[in-house]
Amino acid sequence: MASQTLSRRHFYLSPAVLAWIGLIGILILIGLISAVLVFWNGLYITRMSDPVPWGLWITIDLSAIALGAGAFTLSAVVYLFRLKRFQPLVRLAVFIGFIGYTTALLTLIMDIGRPDRFWHPWVYWNIHSVLWEITWCITIYLAIMLVEFAPVIAESRFFRNYAWAAKVAKFLHHLAPLLALLGLGISLLHQSSLGATYGIVKSRPFWFKPSMPIMFILSAVAVGPSLTMAITYIIEWVTGKKSVPNDILRAIARFSGFALLIYGYIRFWDLAAVTYYGRTPSVSEAFSLLNQQTPYNFSFWIFEILLGVVLPAILFLTPRFNRNPGYLVIGAIFAVIGVVINRWNVTVGGLFVPISYSPGVLYELEPTKYFPGLPEWGVAIGVIGYGLALLTLGARYLPLFSNGEHS
Amino acid sequence: MSKKKTRIKLELKRRDFLAVGGVAAGSVVAAQLLTTGPLSPFASFKQEQVEGIEEVAPRHTGHHWGMVINLNKCIGCEYCTRACSATNDVWVGLPDEDQALGKERLNKPWNIVVEEKTSTGTPFYFSRPCLHCGDAPCVEVCPVQATYHRDDGLVVMNYDKCIGCRYCQIACPYDARKFNWQERTDENPYIPTWGIAEVPRRPRGVVEKCTFCIHRIDAGLQAGLMPGEDPEASPACVNICPVGARIFGDLNDPESKISRTIAVEATMRLRDELGTETSVYYVIPKEGL
Repeated sequence: MASQTLSRRHFYLSPAVLAWIGLIGILILIGLISAVLVFWNGLYITRMSDPVPWGLWITIDLSAIALGAGAFTLSAVVYLFRLKRFQPLVRLAVFIGFIGYTTALLTLIMDIGRPDRFWHPWVYWNIHSVLWEITWCITIYLAIMLVEFAPVIAESRFFRNYAWAAKVAKFLHHLAPLLALLGLGISLLHQSSLGATYGIVKSRPFWFKPSMPIMFILSAVAVGPSLTMAITYIIEWVTGKKSVPNDILRAIARFSGFALLIYGYIRFWDLAAVTYYGRTPSVSEAFSLLNQQTPYNFSFWIFEILLGVVLPAILFLTPRFNRNPGYLVIGAIFAVIGVVINRWNVTVGGLFVPISYSPGVLYELEPTKYFPGLPEWGVAIGVIGYGLALLTLGARYLPLFSNGEHS
Repeated sequence: MSKKKTRIKLELKRRDFLAVGGVAAGSVVAAQLLTTGPLSPFASFKQEQVEGIEEVAPRHTGHHWGMVINLNKCIGCEYCTRACSATNDVWVGLPDEDQALGKERLNKPWNIVVEEKTSTGTPFYFSRPCLHCGDAPCVEVCPVQATYHRDDGLVVMNYDKCIGCRYCQIACPYDARKFNWQERTDENPYIPTWGIAEVPRRPRGVVEKCTFCIHRIDAGLQAGLMPGEDPEASPACVNICPVGARIFGDLNDPESKISRTIAVEATMRLRDELGTETSVYYVIPKEGL
């Protein structure tokens, strides 16, 4: 107990920690200023427009939810497939998932035109809408993660003196397999529905294909756990405490590596089918427009495939690299960048192809233009600050790596 | 452990078989009850869906409002755009401001007119209101049912429900929707020259769309007028057209002017391959497209 108090004092006095807190504070401040500006002036001050109504913020929503996929994957691995050796990672995974989903909700509140009506999908149902289903799934899943995570909060030192907190924690811990099952079902639904959001839009040839939901869920399952692995290593380096055995983290990396290879393989055949074997005039037109007049082609092959799939797969799978935690963290960072760039390419790529409905100008339109403006970047920086702040607080005050089985 | 396994094997022969059979039969019954039967939570939605499909086929009860735009007659004067923007108080935008923010076509009106060419190089003018699809993608994707079908074939919005997610803008195959990016404080340059505002301005943060001037249709029908024949009950863009390029009326009435035009002229619907079943028909240019 005494040593803990000592270490806490040490934690606060270090200049590096002060600089870190200062950095997070600045990020959040930038975000708050941007948010106030957007709420005050309306979405007019962003660079979004009628031809490109979705942009950077939707990319953040999709990426944050994809990166939170480690939560349901690891919960299912431990509580449904009974691979107990991964248990030390579940709490952190759920915590990262919670951060990811709340980040997405914060950004979404910024993005919708009427934030005061955020509750409408819960009251006015349109069961035909993918977006309605996603709203419900995300709400329910956030609740599931809160219940899954409640024991961690109950075990933290703030509740150490309350006996009822321990009882609640123990009870909730027994619910873990049920919550994991619910979380798995709900996550499989909405992670793929996010792809369906684009896949069902028949007016846009770049998006309209049945593989969209599969691409989204595969990439999320591949990258989510590797982010949990990387953050575990980083927390271990910063705190200097070894919490999770290396071979478990390496196993996660290998899982992510194989999942990335499967994703890359299916992505390849998807691309071949859409652009080569089964191409339609409108799809060919969309791709040639994107390839000739936008950096889409470069961004796709270099960032999405080479740096986002091939490089992490090599780092995660070859024995030469995956014995070194440094390479694993670098691999995870590239995989995360890859998935973010993928969501950006899907969203903006689809919108850059102008809607061609008029017979007299068929396939003759210019691509639309969009690059995020300052308020959009500001909000993006702010939510990153929010995520880092929560992660720092969690790593400092919550028993993220204990397995909850000590009682 | 092994004992347990053999027991399961033995019992599979009769009791489990019966149980599995019973569960299977029960779930078939339950599925029927829950999907189409009286226990279905979706029964009301299904009914709406069925009605929506019927909407597509010509019905002989009730009206189905539609429009014919004659590309042979249109001279590209943009009167329809101006009358629409005045009547519905649509923001017509300030191109300079959009350019300063690095945006394109930010404030396009509900109604657009553009110059185009046929494949043989003959120029023609093309205009586009909302096409009021029979199977509208925007209605399907709206998470809060802010956009909905009316019984008379119109696709309209409830601006009090819209949350401004802009998914309908993404999904519309005809680029017919417009978002209110900021609070309206402007003075509409087309009022009063081209008409006066007949509907209130929409608030900031909601999507809006062409309504075929439902306020005129509904009030006109109540007053015993016939939309498409009486100007007071017809859309502003139809009334203002100096060359009569736009015809409005009831697609369900075979004797209406619009139905007779569709019967004799060579017409097409935009992106018909998507199955949107639009209520707007175009008379194609004489030399073909």
